[in-house]
Amino acid sequence: MQCLIPALAASALALCSPWSLADTGKLLLTGGVSSIEGAAGGGLTPWAVVGSNATHREIGISAAFTRVHTQDYGLNVASAVLGIHDRLELSLAQQDFNAGPTAALAAFGVTPGQHLKMDILGAKVRVAGDAVLNSDSWAPQIAVGLQHKRVQAGSMAPVLTSLGAKTTGTDVYASATKLFLAQSLLVNGTLRATKANQNGLLGFGGALGQDKYRLMPEFSVAYLVRKDIAIGAEVRFKPNNLESVGNAVFGANSAALREDNWQDLFIAWAPSKNFSLTLAYVDLGRIAPALVSGRKQTGGYMSAQIAF
Amino acid sequence: MTFFTSWIAAVLLMLTSAAHAQTTPLYQSLGEKPGIAALASDFVDRMKAHPRIGKMFDNIKSSYLKESFTDQFCELSGGPCKYDGETMKNSHAELAIDKAQFNLVVEILQDAMDARGIPFTAQNRLLAKLAPMHREIITVE
Repeated sequence: MQCLIPALAASALALCSPWSLADTGKLLLTGGVSSIEGAAGGGLTPWAVVGSNATHREIGISAAFTRVHTQDYGLNVASAVLGIHDRLELSLAQQDFNAGPTAALAAFGVTPGQHLKMDILGAKVRVAGDAVLNSDSWAPQIAVGLQHKRVQAGSMAPVLTSLGAKTTGTDVYASATKLFLAQSLLVNGTLRATKANQNGLLGFGGALGQDKYRLMPEFSVAYLVRKDIAIGAEVRFKPNNLESVGNAVFGANSAALREDNWQDLFIAWAPSKNFSLTLAYVDLGRIAPALVSGRKQTGGYMSAQIAF
Repeated sequence: MTFFTSWIAAVLLMLTSAAHAQTTPLYQSLGEKPGIAALASDFVDRMKAHPRIGKMFDNIKSSYLKESFTDQFCELSGGPCKYDGETMKNSHAELAIDKAQFNLVVEILQDAMDARGIPFTAQNRLLAKLAPMHREIITVE
């Protein structure tokens, strides 16, 4: 949280300082919203757009608070983005995962009510194209990015270690975003090289030879209903590094630590250039199912963002 | 799996509604020549009145601008008109326009289209014809 406070203070300052009153020049919603890892994009996946309202020759900032709530777990994310010349995006996010069901691991020294906290430092560079204005071409806007993540697992740390998961990891991704303007349709594809388990909250890699990078695709489709409203769907494929070690511990075919893909249906509303609200229904599949009788995690997602 | 089915259904719904929006010819959706002339007139008035870019039009006659935009929008939307004015490159060469100003003009046009009650899907189809002109109009990167 320490590192986020300056970022949030900076955006609060931006509200009052004269330079921010000069309108920054992106079109409504074309800077995306804040994803759960901080990068601008959809809710669960980064896009090739550069966050904030800043276009060429401008610098902008955005900050968001996001909450995801499922049957057994909760996730709060505070994030901030610095957008530079519609070229470079720097992002910071802190995830706070309420892993209530880990109380079942008391025998392994896990404290009841343990939270898993993760800091994510992100950078993204637009390398080609313009997702919005090149409406006579199929060529998308392309960006490459990385997300460096560090999870603080507290009393869960020994459990992650015993599963062979590390506490830091770096994802590398490439995204292509295209707005088919005449059709009011936005499409994004992201390919991510990652070792992360549940985006890193359960560490990176796993025992039994699962400590390697895997390429995972992520897709978003959004339809612009109005200038200020987009509805859409996303799917994010994920590695499944901990299932092998889970089966070794809990029994073959137990799928005790199975990890599934993530999907969502969302609606984003931007009543002004400076504020947007995103609501989604998320299906996060199984998250450490051994702890919650194998139950799948579905629920609500809400994110509020301010941008300048 | 039921969620995945609804996910597919949602995507299909979006694709079909996007396709459906194409059925009315754009020229009709804009209100044909009289609608386009009214739009162009309001658009020019809004640009000239705008504190950030209004000055750029100080030395150009409103009636000439309105006529040019009418012809251009009419032709681009498939109407029976011919824009025979200056090329976009020549007419903007001296104006030092950057992307923020270009996007601002897009927003002003959106406001003018909103004011005339032009459906959002038709707005985007006209904008899709105009947006590629950024390559000729933006001279300050």
